Amino acid sequence: MDANSQVVDAAVSEESPFDFESTFRAHYGRIARIITKLVRDPARGEDLATETFLKLWRHPKAQGESAPGWLYRVAVWKSLDELRRQKRREYYEGLLSLTRMDPTPEEIRRTGEVQERVRAILAVIASRQAELLVLRSHGFSYEELALSLGLNPASIGTLLGRAQQTFRKEYIKRYGQEL
Amino acid sequence: MDKNYERDLKQWVDEKLATLALAETWQLDTERALARFKERRSRKEKKLAIWRWITVPALAIGLCLVALPQPRLSVLRFCQQLACRNVNSPLVSANVKTLIDGQAAPDFHLKDAWGRDVQISSFQGKVVLLNFWATWCGGCREEIPAFIEFQDKYRNRGFTAIGIAMDTEGWTKVKPYLKTSKMNYPVVLGNDDLAKQYGLGSMPMTYLIDRSGKIAATYVGLVDRGNCENVISRLLEK
Repeated sequence: MDANSQVVDAAVSEESPFDFESTFRAHYGRIARIITKLVRDPARGEDLATETFLKLWRHPKAQGESAPGWLYRVAVWKSLDELRRQKRREYYEGLLSLTRMDPTPEEIRRTGEVQERVRAILAVIASRQAELLVLRSHGFSYEELALSLGLNPASIGTLLGRAQQTFRKEYIKRYGQEL
Repeated sequence: MDKNYERDLKQWVDEKLATLALAETWQLDTERALARFKERRSRKEKKLAIWRWITVPALAIGLCLVALPQPRLSVLRFCQQLACRNVNSPLVSANVKTLIDGQAAPDFHLKDAWGRDVQISSFQGKVVLLNFWATWCGGCREEIPAFIEFQDKYRNRGFTAIGIAMDTEGWTKVKPYLKTSKMNYPVVLGNDDLAKQYGLGSMPMTYLIDRSGKIAATYVGLVDRGNCENVISRLLEK
């Protein structure tokens, strides 16, 4: 650890009793996995996970008991943003296809994969619904979901059901009924 | 909603989302990530510190310049001198010399906005503030309220201000401004000859002429209000 980071650590710990390092160690892995599953590239996923913690560091109000929930919410926002950016880039690259060579076999294979389809659907449905589905798929309980997304725990079941319906409807609309 | 439908839907969505599996080869190193995080945080902290050192003084100076009249005038004066010195106007020449103190003010005979004759020689026995200005000149507009005040204050003691508008568009541009600014002293329209005679190299430019018709003070750029008023008082006492 260099001198500068020690100074920063000291400054943070003087300002608040919030234990940043413990929070980092406890949640970094899960956050990096959530993001990487969505953005596909592990390096980018780790980078975004670090950015999520940097954001927490810049928001002292979020540091406290509610920090884990805040972190997961920001992590999902960041990964959905990145996913949408990727999809936009792919769309514009598609528009410029006249100037490009034919798609590579890797591109053709990836487009046909279910996980790419799932990513595409998560990028287009409402953010709140995508957040619910992503966190739920990582084993979040209803209470954890309510805490992370700032929702009423009693309405999580209904919201989750609607999110699942929207997801399936959009998937079938785009790719048809799969056997 | 049908329970079976709900269960099927949940299962279907779970299956799809489960395809977002991570590569088995991917290993997460939290300690390395923490070190990287600290490094980035330290870099950001440095950037923030530098940013604070730049923005806080800049904001403080900016606030002083906007809020306090004296520094604002000083900056305006400086900017005017920079901006108006070589202004692109056929009536303002950069290669002329101003009149020197003690020199007789060149006579002119022009008509004011209401068609009345204005002749500098007819003001002999009075202290005259001769101000070269234009509607497009921000510094000129800035100092006009002070001249209006001088005119009100010293009119009865033998003082008059005379404005010489150098707008090439003529009265069409100047007359509306006279109305809005409520100028209470005579304003005439200047010309190239007059500009040369008075050595007009930049705007605003102001001469104080004593009771004998001689140049007593010259102000290139915005006048220093306090100094100008002192000179007027001194000239009026003579």
